[in-house]
Amino acid sequence: MAASIAYVGGHLQYGVNFCMGQSYKQAIWVPSVTFNGCLQRELSWSCGVSKFLQIRKCNLFRSRTNENWKSFGTVITSAYLRDGSTKYFDFAVIGSGVAGLRYALEVAKHGSVAIITKAEPHESNTNYAQGGVSAVLCPSDSVESHMQDTIVAGAYLCDEESVKVVCTEGPDRIRELIAMGASFDHGDDGNLHLAREGGHSHHRIVHAADMTGREIERALLEAVVNDPNISVFKHHFAIDLLTSQDGSDTICHGIDALNTETQEVVRFISKVTLLASGGAGHIYPSTTNPLVATGDGMAMAHRAQAVISNMEFVQFHPTALADEGLPIKPKKTRENSFLITEAVRGDGGILYNLSMERFMPLYDERAELAPRDVVARSIDDQLKKRNEKYVLLDISHKLREKILSHFPNIANECLQHGLDITQQPIPVVPAAHYMCGGVRAGLQGETNVHGLYVAGEVACTGLHGANRLASNSLLEALVFARRAVQPSINHMKSSSLDLSASSLWTRPLVPKSLGSDVMHKILRITKEVRKELQSIMWKYVGIVRSTSRLQEAEQKIGKLEAKWETYLFEHGWQQTMVALEACEMRNLFCCAKLVVSSALARHESRGLHYMTDFPDLEESKRLPTVIFPSSHTTGTWSSRQLHQQPIVKSMV
Amino acid sequence: MAKTSLSRLFTSLSEHSIAKLSFTSSRSESVNRSGYNSVTRFVCFSAQETQLIREERSNEGDREAAKENLESVNKEEDEGEDGDHVNKETGEVGGPKGPEPTRYGDWERNGRCSDF
Repeated sequence: MAASIAYVGGHLQYGVNFCMGQSYKQAIWVPSVTFNGCLQRELSWSCGVSKFLQIRKCNLFRSRTNENWKSFGTVITSAYLRDGSTKYFDFAVIGSGVAGLRYALEVAKHGSVAIITKAEPHESNTNYAQGGVSAVLCPSDSVESHMQDTIVAGAYLCDEESVKVVCTEGPDRIRELIAMGASFDHGDDGNLHLAREGGHSHHRIVHAADMTGREIERALLEAVVNDPNISVFKHHFAIDLLTSQDGSDTICHGIDALNTETQEVVRFISKVTLLASGGAGHIYPSTTNPLVATGDGMAMAHRAQAVISNMEFVQFHPTALADEGLPIKPKKTRENSFLITEAVRGDGGILYNLSMERFMPLYDERAELAPRDVVARSIDDQLKKRNEKYVLLDISHKLREKILSHFPNIANECLQHGLDITQQPIPVVPAAHYMCGGVRAGLQGETNVHGLYVAGEVACTGLHGANRLASNSLLEALVFARRAVQPSINHMKSSSLDLSASSLWTRPLVPKSLGSDVMHKILRITKEVRKELQSIMWKYVGIVRSTSRLQEAEQKIGKLEAKWETYLFEHGWQQTMVALEACEMRNLFCCAKLVVSSALARHESRGLHYMTDFPDLEESKRLPTVIFPSSHTTGTWSSRQLHQQPIVKSMV
Repeated sequence: MAKTSLSRLFTSLSEHSIAKLSFTSSRSESVNRSGYNSVTRFVCFSAQETQLIREERSNEGDREAAKENLESVNKEEDEGEDGDHVNKETGEVGGPKGPEPTRYGDWERNGRCSDF
């Protein structure tokens, strides 16, 4: 994949550059830095961008971009209509977590909505977000305080306008949720009970017992199901966005999806599309994310020429239960990790490597009570240096009854797998939890692709900066989903659905012609390749990084991808063929490469991104990492949309 | 987040009474009984429970007894209007019993962390 990376200088004025209704000049088409680093043309972004990305001023590159586009050719395939249907909606929403559902409920008042979700609707990262949602709801708290906490946690890489907007609008979004039927814990004084999580200087976490995400999801789903304007298409896997070029503008017209239950392709033509597809935890072997989090949205957006940002900031939790260390291995691979709370360390738990050496004091004088990031890095360092799979967290020296009363969940889980935590140490390994980066979004959730909006974990709004503050993710999803509503409605009203548009893109093809033997082989190989990719990511793109390791990751991932694609195409796979596992794999490759590219581009350590060869913060590098779209003529199957992009003027 | 003095009191009491009872445990801590007389109503109630349990002196029963002891300690917190548990320190209705989930910064329930 050819990727173009740039630092975007200064304070980005999202509102100015992404304003609807103005003739939007495409961000600089940067000729690529190819993956093995052999080609690096003058990055045109450097002109006048040292302080400020002036997207509108870059039309001097328009001729170059037109040339590029011409060289791709105008491929408007004649419509060979295959089996499979086309559906027309005003709004298409990809993803059924809090961002998608919240948005759907609002825009449904103005038009028809399709929610496209790849599994059951409640299967989302939202559902597993059990802690809470943060908002300023206490009179002694203030928006400024919430903003400050967010910016400090984000290592000062946050976009201040985004932070302000989220912290200011948060309380209203919570009140709306309550009005929609979400039920949060109260105090005996009748007010919302507000907890205080790490990094927050006030009590401001609203929660529903310990299943806040699930409660919010429940309330929203109930409203969605009862809304006659919303159609939910579950078990529909989104394949690629349908886009066209109008000069240098990219326009989104909808999405192709695969009904994984009936194995039919469904084409959705929509005036507006919201991408709310969540995270990409499964690029790593150990993650708290459910299986659906394979970075589909980030990959589709990148292939559709959307700008991606800050992918290097992956949040890990230092101590997830390591199944490899359990005497009785779980019968099937645990889908999402069991995180061991900091309270175990707080209550006196000690970390050892497999030689029973206590290593934390080597890294920090606070030892096990050092901040979570320090602990995560230390564990990662030990694992890489010693080439081991997990470390040990020992609480067995504490009183048995205290262990059992404080941590019954851990005790039970371990006991079921042959481990008594009152006698033996607990095997732990860091797990990937949250992607701070994603599709670059403006203050209205708009992207550089017309008609494409993003919200939730898939987006990079600038709120989290280099590290997410606890409980801010549900809040971000709520606020941005809401903010994208009015611009979406405006865009929808100024668009008209071209009913013949459906035939402009080649339809994806279900691989029936390959036969079940070949499919079986392909699925088996794909499964192995996925594990291999996850292994490379953990080994070379983990918590403690270095330029040489990242470069090795680049090489290895490139080779692995080539090997996989060759296998597929040698066995008869065609460019437009789709299957769930293969499509997920291409998305995982795409996201993995985005993470590696971004990590290589940041020559400093900040927040979640730590480089041994650049261990310090660099004020001059306090800028977001931005990846511009890649060219179409080069690149792998994972980096190209399945269909060819037509160049059609004034489609809408 | 620091434990409040009240929860610390419960914890230390539990430790003391359990230490007496856990014959199998090799990690019993010395019990300071001088504080018993000067404690509040809650602690006295539990101390009485402890007296009863200790009289039975069964190996099997020590763990169950420890559980009972903890439960009786928890029952001392007020029941709300509809029988919901009300947290004495925070006033939270229907919230989790036991230590504050966010006391070490992350969000934990019974040892499993779900947010941080």
